[in-house]
Amino acid sequence: MDIGFLAQYVLSGVMLGVVYAMVAVGFTLYFGVLDVINFSHGDVLTSGAFVSLATYLGLRAMGIESPAVLLAVMLLAGLGAMALLGVLVAKFFVLPLRHAPPFITLLITLMVGVALRESIRLFYPSGSNPQSFPAVLPNTPYHWGHLIVRLDTIILIVTGLAVIALVNLFINRTRAGLAIRAVAQDGETAKIMGINFEWVVLLAFALGSALAALAGVMNGLYYNEINFGTGLMLGIIGFCAAVVGGLGNIYGAILGGFLFALLQTIVVVATPSLTAYKDVFAFAVIILLMVVKPTGLIGEASSERV
Amino acid sequence: MDALLSCHNLVMRFRGLTALDDLHLDIRKGEILGLLGPNGSGKTTFFNVVTGVYRASGGRIEFESQDISRSSPQAVYRAGIARTFQRSRLCLPLTIFDNIMIGNHRNLNHGLWFNVVRRKALRRQYEACREEARELLTIFNQALGSRLMEAAGSVSMIDRRRIEVCRALVSRPKLLLLDEPSAGMTHEETNELMDDILTIRKRMPELTIVIIEHGMSVIERITDRCVVLNYGRKLCEGTYAEIARNPEVQQAYLGKS
Amino acid sequence: MLSSDKLPLSESTPAPSSARAPGPLPAIVGVVAIAVFATILLRVHGQWALLTLGVVAAIALVVAVRTGATSRFEGAFAAHEGLMNGVAIAACLAVIAVLAKEDFSLLIVSTVLLYCTACMGLTVQLGYCGVLNFAGAAFFGAGAYTAAVLGAHTALPHLLVLLAGGCIAGLLGSVLLLPVLRTRGHYAALITVAFGIMFRSFLEVNNTLGGPQGLMVPGMTIFGWSLNKGLVIGGVTLSFYFNYALVTLALAIAVYVVTRRLERSWVGMHFDAVRIDELAASTFGLNVQALKIGAFVIGNVFIGMAGAVFAMMTGFISPTDFDFSTSLVLIAIIMLGGIGNVWGILPAAAFVLILPEKLQAIQEYRFLLYSAAVILVLLFRPEGLFPRRLRRYFPSRGGG
Repeated sequence: MDIGFLAQYVLSGVMLGVVYAMVAVGFTLYFGVLDVINFSHGDVLTSGAFVSLATYLGLRAMGIESPAVLLAVMLLAGLGAMALLGVLVAKFFVLPLRHAPPFITLLITLMVGVALRESIRLFYPSGSNPQSFPAVLPNTPYHWGHLIVRLDTIILIVTGLAVIALVNLFINRTRAGLAIRAVAQDGETAKIMGINFEWVVLLAFALGSALAALAGVMNGLYYNEINFGTGLMLGIIGFCAAVVGGLGNIYGAILGGFLFALLQTIVVVATPSLTAYKDVFAFAVIILLMVVKPTGLIGEASSERV
Repeated sequence: MDALLSCHNLVMRFRGLTALDDLHLDIRKGEILGLLGPNGSGKTTFFNVVTGVYRASGGRIEFESQDISRSSPQAVYRAGIARTFQRSRLCLPLTIFDNIMIGNHRNLNHGLWFNVVRRKALRRQYEACREEARELLTIFNQALGSRLMEAAGSVSMIDRRRIEVCRALVSRPKLLLLDEPSAGMTHEETNELMDDILTIRKRMPELTIVIIEHGMSVIERITDRCVVLNYGRKLCEGTYAEIARNPEVQQAYLGKS
Repeated sequence: MLSSDKLPLSESTPAPSSARAPGPLPAIVGVVAIAVFATILLRVHGQWALLTLGVVAAIALVVAVRTGATSRFEGAFAAHEGLMNGVAIAACLAVIAVLAKEDFSLLIVSTVLLYCTACMGLTVQLGYCGVLNFAGAAFFGAGAYTAAVLGAHTALPHLLVLLAGGCIAGLLGSVLLLPVLRTRGHYAALITVAFGIMFRSFLEVNNTLGGPQGLMVPGMTIFGWSLNKGLVIGGVTLSFYFNYALVTLALAIAVYVVTRRLERSWVGMHFDAVRIDELAASTFGLNVQALKIGAFVIGNVFIGMAGAVFAMMTGFISPTDFDFSTSLVLIAIIMLGGIGNVWGILPAAAFVLILPEKLQAIQEYRFLLYSAAVILVLLFRPEGLFPRRLRRYFPSRGGG
């Protein structure tokens, strides 16, 4: 197996890791701020991708051809719509139930996810079939020896890492991020300190959903295809990644995302005949990790007052 | 000196905060010990460590010469230690009877076969337990006895605290840990509660009680001995009169110099 | 002449308790109404008629909840349990008898009863002990595939195959849950969701259990009685699904009895204690992990048994029968019926399963409708249609 071949897998692994990490960070935001597991997250990802696709088709129908414009408007539409959706989900389904037992929130967000998924399948034209996603990014291939790398892959990876770094910066270096962290640590005290609890929750949900939408668009651009069911699996993987890193911990989420991608890549590279089992393998390893370190690799950020 | 429970060099650290700092504490058999100290001095943490809710960061706890430092909460209960919680922890959707029976784990038959198949035997045990619970509850509140099968959430806060004490008592523990049982009660209700506790003690003379309380009159009236904690350490111990005179105690509570 | 120290009897003695407890009439009326409605729904074929019936049922349901009719119904049911259990069984038998020659209708009835059995398992796990199980369909499938393999390759009597299906599902569940018992609840949720999703894909990829093409399953035979042959009564040949309807009813009743007794015992009370406050439960000696695993395994045994019968009844199973959406339907049923209340399961299952089967128009949309219904329930009436009642260990006539 030559280096070029291997490097190909490494790149696709990194790409996967970036997507997983973005989804995982979203989960972490929701858990950190409200102690909730938001199972609609993965389907928000898919919805974002579909909104972008629909925007693209609409723009093309209007005669707009410039890839830069197309991409910009697609992103705006996808991210904007999902940020709004995140706010709506938080306001109408999650916040009202925050004093109920946690499984109720888990269940309602799961159902919201189902509703989103089914809506796409039923109401988007031929929604149950995979939809081809346009290649609006330049995909000129570059050759380095045996290695062939498409430009769009590089762009996506760089963008993804940059976005993750930006989100990290936002959470840790801005006032709004500070507010989020304050609420995450102790909602009651944060309220007393004058932080508008509801606004922070809505902000966290908007941010997480926009991230999911971006991940969805990136996923679509990479594979040139989207499917109504993609989000379910990505959501589970993202949740898993967030958990293994330590729920509520952003660095943990990022670590978890890349770890999961690494595990999947190992299976694909080492035992190509077992590619279909890559998900099962990665899950099994994660579960073992959770047994060894129940609070996650970096540590869960919550406590209970006795 | 007959030490039922003794702690040596007990340490409890939480990520930077030391809640218990090299604590030495002995509890004598049959006494009612008052555990005092300003807020944050480690009283509830002490209870949590003894009952296995927290794992001590260091030190040793011995109960009846048995090392329970690393024991699970279940093992501590089996050894004969029962408690109430500072923040009321009843199962509000369940009946008062169910709540009290949660404390009676030791005396109930949990086998699947017994519970699902041997219904007549279960019924006999159930009826015996029901009588016992009613009797116990009636000591604390006459009226509650008839409301045994109602939801615990449907009675007043004060009654819930009483139910919690019953839950801790029903298994006839050797050591009873009461964490601010009179919180939220009026003067009369508190006195009533203390009378009821003394009644219980008359019925169960071997029962040892440790009570965390803030009301000084309660402490004075009910305790044989007191221990004052401050910053996770024992500040002083003795009878109420002795510790009340202690200038360090006064400083800890009131900041007098 | 009444002497002054002797009051008339009606004032001196308390009224007999049956006068204060509700009479059984509201409950009987309710059960009969549901049975009649279900029968009509199953016999009607016209799509518009069905749509009207569906809308009427939905409106009637909302009105019944709002006016308190459902609580009167349930109160009466609870006060006369022995009688009402008999009435309910009789109603089921009546419905089955009326539909005796209709294949499709009886297949639906049997499926509803099997889902009820599975949902009772889910109730023990989630409703009593608070253990999340989003892989109900996977355990159902485990039982089904066990029946397929044992039925086709061994001569094991089918009643034992039924039990084996349950045991395999129970075993599988314990293997899944043991690693994460010491962790927090949402980890268990993650594991069951992942398992629920991957069960199907695992079977499709793996050809040892038939792969995506599925497996044939021989029909059930009990003590020489082959259920796949329709009974002939008085010269009339009944549908062979009549046989399965009776068997599934028997299974549902058996599981109901066990579930009820479990709830009305120290074990049931301990399940609740673990669900509501694990920490307090542990300080009073309850073995939280053993209770959770116990609930999970018992529930999965019920689910697996139902799956085994399902396989033998339908004769053919494939991975698509046991996907994540089906797991969510099971959850939807117990949420809608009233979480933790076994009596809510049958009406909820009937409503959730019969209508989409008959009404072609909404069949495609059924998951969307289920999810919307559960969302509404969670927001506005989380206790469900029939909220769970307080525990009565040995309810006697009007007492507890």
